[in-house]
Amino acid sequence: MADKRMMVQIQNLEKYFGEDKDRVHVLKGVSLEIPEGSLYTFLGPSGCGKTTTLRCVAGLERPDGGRISIDGRTVYSAGERIYVPTNKRPIGMVFQSYAIWPHMTVFENVAYPLTIQRRPKEEIKRRVGEVLRIVGLQGLEDRPAPKLSGGQQQRVAFARALVNEPKVMLLDEPLSNLDAKLREQMRFEIKALQRRVNITTIYVTHDQGEALAISDQIAVMHAGKLIEVGTPHQLYSKPKRKFTATFLGLTNLIEGKVIELGGDSQPGRLETNKGILSFVPTTKLEKNQTAVISVRPEHIEVHKTKPQNSENVVEGTVKDAVFMGDAYHCHIAVGEDLIRVHTHPFLTMNPGEKVYLRLDPQSCNGLPAEDIEGMDESMMGT
Amino acid sequence: MKKYFTVQSVILVACSLFVVYLAGIPLVMLLYGSFRSAPIGEPGAAFTIQNYIKAYFDREFYLLFLNSLYFALGCCILTFSIGTYLAWVSERTNTPLKKLFVVMALIPFIIPGILSTISWILLLSPKIGLINIALKGLLGLEQSPFNIYSMWGMIWAESIHDYPLVFLLMSAAFRNMDTSLEEAALSAGSSTWTTFRRVTLPLMRPAMFSVMLIVFVRAIESFEVPALVGVPAKISVFTTKIFLAIHQFPSDFGLAGAYAVTLLVISTAGVLIYGRITRREERYATVTGKGYRPRVIDLGPWKYVTCASAFLIFFLAVILPVFVLLWSSFIPYYGIPSKELFDKLTLANYRYVLNYPLALTAFKNSFYLSVGSATLVMLLTSVIAWITVKSKLPGRALLDNMTFIPIAMPGIVLGVSLIWVYLTLPIPIYGTIWVLLLAYMTKFMPYGIRAASASMVQINKELEEASLASGGTWLQTFRKVLLPLLMPGFVAGWIYISIIALRELSTSILLYSYDSTVLSIMAFDLWEGGQYTYVCALGVLMVLILITMAYVARKLGARIGIAE
Repeated sequence: MADKRMMVQIQNLEKYFGEDKDRVHVLKGVSLEIPEGSLYTFLGPSGCGKTTTLRCVAGLERPDGGRISIDGRTVYSAGERIYVPTNKRPIGMVFQSYAIWPHMTVFENVAYPLTIQRRPKEEIKRRVGEVLRIVGLQGLEDRPAPKLSGGQQQRVAFARALVNEPKVMLLDEPLSNLDAKLREQMRFEIKALQRRVNITTIYVTHDQGEALAISDQIAVMHAGKLIEVGTPHQLYSKPKRKFTATFLGLTNLIEGKVIELGGDSQPGRLETNKGILSFVPTTKLEKNQTAVISVRPEHIEVHKTKPQNSENVVEGTVKDAVFMGDAYHCHIAVGEDLIRVHTHPFLTMNPGEKVYLRLDPQSCNGLPAEDIEGMDESMMGT
Repeated sequence: MKKYFTVQSVILVACSLFVVYLAGIPLVMLLYGSFRSAPIGEPGAAFTIQNYIKAYFDREFYLLFLNSLYFALGCCILTFSIGTYLAWVSERTNTPLKKLFVVMALIPFIIPGILSTISWILLLSPKIGLINIALKGLLGLEQSPFNIYSMWGMIWAESIHDYPLVFLLMSAAFRNMDTSLEEAALSAGSSTWTTFRRVTLPLMRPAMFSVMLIVFVRAIESFEVPALVGVPAKISVFTTKIFLAIHQFPSDFGLAGAYAVTLLVISTAGVLIYGRITRREERYATVTGKGYRPRVIDLGPWKYVTCASAFLIFFLAVILPVFVLLWSSFIPYYGIPSKELFDKLTLANYRYVLNYPLALTAFKNSFYLSVGSATLVMLLTSVIAWITVKSKLPGRALLDNMTFIPIAMPGIVLGVSLIWVYLTLPIPIYGTIWVLLLAYMTKFMPYGIRAASASMVQINKELEEASLASGGTWLQTFRKVLLPLLMPGFVAGWIYISIIALRELSTSILLYSYDSTVLSIMAFDLWEGGQYTYVCALGVLMVLILITMAYVARKLGARIGIAE
């Protein structure tokens, strides 16, 4: 990654909404860099500031502080008093509602960025034809926009965003208006399209599954702050922050006090109300600090008899087990707490049964137990 | 370097300043004028409170005030009863043919107030009224049973023309009411009557009160009926008093100003209270939402009675006046339909009207003013609606209020204001058609902004942003994306304004001159000259023009607008 050129750079972005006493601080010093040619996702719950950041890059919102540059050119700088309006930025954008103009045909919609520049007719025709072929809409040029299906409207929106060969394509929750099946299919299409055109793309979503499936890199955001950046694999299996662990996929959190830091190949140890558990230190912790172990349901083995010579084993009772086809999703009561476990469908689980859980030490991530404002229990792996 | 003079900022600033000019200046000048002894430049021009003293210490003032109040209250009660009854019948009962009521209720809108007033004089005048003559003959009466030249006559003539507004507003109120609230009361064990009294009525009360208020304000501003019926009957109200103050010789502009300010205060109070109530009502509406299927009451055999009564109202409001206009336009002298007159049917009235020396000027002026003011107002208000709805520019709320000011200005008051504006400002358009154009634009701006904002609100912000993100400038975005999407609202507003512009009388009558005569003034002059049959011929032509305009505009709009 280090040798890659950065296409979009954002430094200390600040943004407030509203006036005077109703002022809300929506972006609190967001800084990030987006490498050329990558598909970069802003992920977070609603209200985290991901869409606002995207709209600041587009120039549709005017930030209150910081700096944004696209392709080496500063498009916003609070210090230098620079603000390049949206229509002068090298961007293409796909909106949540697609924003297909209902009074125009497919061709007119897609050709719009070129016609307003008064390009020659021949060139417009050729380039619209090309881009419609890329999105798979050739032959629909003369169709009025209101007569398109949801999926087709979205392709038109992509074609319109791409036709002027922008430096950056901005996608604002482009799949949220489609039904579940089409959404799944379009994920792969967007990814394939982005690879083919090799265009730097910023993708905003609140859907963690979508983000994992599609992204080269994900920036997890919460309450106006950037929490963590990484590849989908890094963020899922080795998160550095408690919020990342809970927001991406399901996880179990077990709180305790750090009694051994660990390091290199040495595991750390945490004293919890379920005994002493070992963990992999993914981030810097202090001795005697309160910390949590995050372990995902699929990394917990269920044994009906107590496994011998093994660490990280806790005893519990099956509370309930729901058959999901490819697995049983179980709640195991351990002391006061419930632990979620996904087990093989052949292993039948009966409520009330006594079981032993082995939390794979390699998959137990030790994370600081810091509380992030506004994070509520509903996000904690329920 | 930052550019301050972009196309966008020039357009936005120009339009905003123009609104301030149209709405703000007349108001200021009216107040100024009411405190002047004479217009600037005339001998003895100075500041004075003499106008107000003269207005308020006149014994007639209190009679005037009472007359205006009686008239407005009477109209308020009568229009409200008719309109609400029809709305209830068509929204909440199983009366047959109720779909037809809506169409029937809209027809009186197309008949100009001056024509409707004239037709009722022709029907109810004690000497020549057709109904009076017919009843005297049928019942062998000595005296005419009806006299239009009375307070009751005035109230009737005004109400039968104004009730459609109440019908439309109350229909909407009935439709928007969440009937599950009523059903909840019924299921809690209360009787139909108790439910009506304890639930329906309190829920409808804000709507009812606001509708009454708007009818009251309209009646107090009304000019046609007071001028044509009230003046001969010696029943003076504010609007006619102002008119007479200017039309006497020499004109007393200062006195007219003092009366106009008084009238303005009354109507502004009404409009402000109306705004308060409806804003609260809208808050209710967002809670209760829309799309309820109103509970329809089964009237049993009574449904034929309600149906017949609705048709009777339609007969009185539309068929009779239109018939009397049509009939009178084809006869050589005014009289009751008879075999004798039937044989004398003639087109002479139409020939006379079309060959009237001023006819061509009046037709042309009316046409230009109607098309011109509708187009300019809609373009102006589309830009203003963008500022008030879409932008976050400072002062947009103020601009929105500014655009609405003229709604509180009675036509005759606007006329007085503009006289003061162009007698004072060094802009040499007094007495030309341009002063009428500006007057019409001021007067119809509130209707334009209402239509434009309603459409603007419905346009998803992203449609506009997509154009910006495609590299479009603000002007390109406005022309190529916003205006076409606004088209349905634009056309609706355009039709409405062009229609009411064509029949405008109360402002024009203070501002016209020989060269800037319009159709409604011509009708007024012919009527004053006692040429009844000619007026009717002119009236029929006006109605035909209005129908054609509405039809063409709607066709055109359907082609430009979005086909769904």
